[in-house]
Amino acid sequence: MQLLVNALIAGSLAALIAGGLALVYGVLGIFNMALGQLVLIGGYATWWLYQVAGLPLIVSILGGLATGALCTWLTFEVFVNPFYRKHRFLPLVTTIAWSMILDGLILLLFEERPRSIISGLPEGFILWGAHISMQQCVLVSVTVCALCAFGYVFHCTSLGRRLRAVVQNTHASLSLGINAPLLYRAIFIMSGVFAAGGGIFIGIDQNLSPTLGFTYTIKAYAAIIAGGKGNVWGAVLCAYIIALLEQLLVGVHWFNAFYVPAGYQQTVALLFIIGILLLRPQGLFAHKVRSA
Amino acid sequence: MNFAWHIITLIAIQMPAILGYNFVFGKGKIFHFGPLGVSLITAYASVLTLVHTQSFVLSFVAGLCAALLVSLLFAWLSFRLEADGLGVISLAVHLGLMAVVLNSNVLTRGALGIPGVKRMAFLQSVSDFAIFSGVIAVIAIIAAYFLNRSAFGRRLSALAEHNWYAEAVGVNRRHTHTWAFVIAAIGSTFSNFLFPQYLTLLHPSDYQFHSFVFYIMVIVAGNPGSVLGVATSTALLMILKESIRFIALPAAMIGPVRLMLFGAVLFAAVCWRRDTLFPPKREV
Repeated sequence: MQLLVNALIAGSLAALIAGGLALVYGVLGIFNMALGQLVLIGGYATWWLYQVAGLPLIVSILGGLATGALCTWLTFEVFVNPFYRKHRFLPLVTTIAWSMILDGLILLLFEERPRSIISGLPEGFILWGAHISMQQCVLVSVTVCALCAFGYVFHCTSLGRRLRAVVQNTHASLSLGINAPLLYRAIFIMSGVFAAGGGIFIGIDQNLSPTLGFTYTIKAYAAIIAGGKGNVWGAVLCAYIIALLEQLLVGVHWFNAFYVPAGYQQTVALLFIIGILLLRPQGLFAHKVRSA
Repeated sequence: MNFAWHIITLIAIQMPAILGYNFVFGKGKIFHFGPLGVSLITAYASVLTLVHTQSFVLSFVAGLCAALLVSLLFAWLSFRLEADGLGVISLAVHLGLMAVVLNSNVLTRGALGIPGVKRMAFLQSVSDFAIFSGVIAVIAIIAAYFLNRSAFGRRLSALAEHNWYAEAVGVNRRHTHTWAFVIAAIGSTFSNFLFPQYLTLLHPSDYQFHSFVFYIMVIVAGNPGSVLGVATSTALLMILKESIRFIALPAAMIGPVRLMLFGAVLFAAVCWRRDTLFPPKREV
C-alpha cells in the first residue's frame, strides 16, 4: 500500500509536468529541453519568497508560478519562436543552450545546497496502512484538481475546442479565424506554469537541488513518448505508470532475496520506453491525426 | 610550455570522438544525443579490462566492442523513433548508463572512479601524449575528410536532406546510418582509450550531460558535417574551455560561469547557423 501511495505522489508530480508539455508537443511539435530548469525556477522562486523574503506561503506560491510563467514566456520569445518556423528541430538545440545558462544561474544564485520550502518534518497519518503527510495529501489533491480543471477546459469549453482545433490542424484553424499564434504562446506559458507547479511540489514534499532539472525533463518526455506524442491524457497516465514501476522496482523484496538499489530507479523510465518501442513504436495511446 | 602540451593533448584526444559524432549528428542530422553514453561505457570497458588483464591490446578491443554494442543500440533506437524522440531517449539512455556505472560499486567503484590507470610505456610525459594523440588526431582528420567526400558521405547527406527521396533512388537508410554509428563508435574508442590513461583516472563526472553539450557546441559552431570546420572549432573551443580557469573568479563560480558561457556560445552558434543547421529541403 505504501508503494502505491508513493507512486501516486511521484506520479502526480510527473503528470503535472508532462501534461502541459504533451499539449505543447501536440501543438508546436517541439521539445523544450529547458523544462527541468523551469521546474526548478518555480520551486526556487517560491523558496526565496517564503524563506528569504518572508512572504506568506500562498503569496510565495503565486509568486513562484508567476516567475515560472515569465521565464517560460522568455523561453518562448527568445529560444523557440524565432527558430521553430525555420525548422522544428532547432528549438531542441536552442533550449539545450538555455538549459545550460539556467543551470549556471541557478547554481550561482542558490548554490548546490538542498533547499526545502517548508522546513521541518511534516506531520503525517496512517491511511490504509500507508504513511502519508498532510502536505502530500494537499499536493496530490491540488494536482488532480488542476488536471481535472485542465481537462474540463480542454474538452468542454470553446477555448478547449479552439485548442484542439489548433492541435489537429494549424492552417485549417487559422482559416476559421482562430488566433493560433496567441494560442501557441498561451499553451507554452501554461506548460511553464504546470512545470513551476511541479517545482513547488518538489520544494514542499522533498528538497530542491540544482541537479534535479535534467532528470525531470527526461521523465516527462519519457511519459510523452510512451503515451503517444501529443496525447495529453496518454502522457498523464504514463507518468503514473512510470512512477508506479519506479516504486515497485526499489520497494519490492525481489524473490525474497534482494532489493534493487535506489540509484537504479531512474533507469525504469528508460526500460519502460524501450519495452514500449518494441511493442508499439507510436506510443501506447497514439491517435490518428485528421488531415485534409 | 606544459600547459600548451596539455591543451594540444586534450584537443587531439577529443578529435576522433568528435569527428566520429560529426558523421552522426552533423552530416547525418541524426538526433543522437547519447555520444557520452557510448564514451562512458567504452572508457569503463577499456579501463576495467586493463586493470584485470594488464593488456593494452585487450583493453582497446574491449573498449571497441563495448562502443560498437552501445552504438548499435542507439542505431536501433534511431530506426524506431522520430528524430526528436530519439534525441530525448538517447539522453535517457545516457542517464541510464550513468546510473548503472554509479551504482555498480563493486565493479566500477561508483562515484569514486578508478584511479591509477596505467599508461602505455611510451606515453609517460605530457609531450609524449601530445605527440602520439596528435598523430592519431591527424589520421582521424584525414580519414574523416575522405569518408566525407566518399559515396558513403554523399548517401548520408542525401538521407539527411530527405530520407524518402534518398531511399527512392536506392540509398539504404539502415545500412548507411548503421555505418555512421559504427564510425562514431570507432572514434569514441580511440578517444576513450587514451583519455583515462592521460589523466591516470577514470571518473564518471567527465561523462556528464555538460560534456555532451561541448560536442554539440563544437559541431554547430564548426559547421555541421564539415570535417575541417569541426576540427578547427574543437581546437578553438577547447582553448576557450581550458582558459576559463585563468579568469580571476572564486573557485565555486568557475563551474557555473563555464556552463553559462557554453550555453551562450551554443545559442550564438545556432543563431549564426540557423539557416544551414537544418537546411530546407530542395524541391523541384
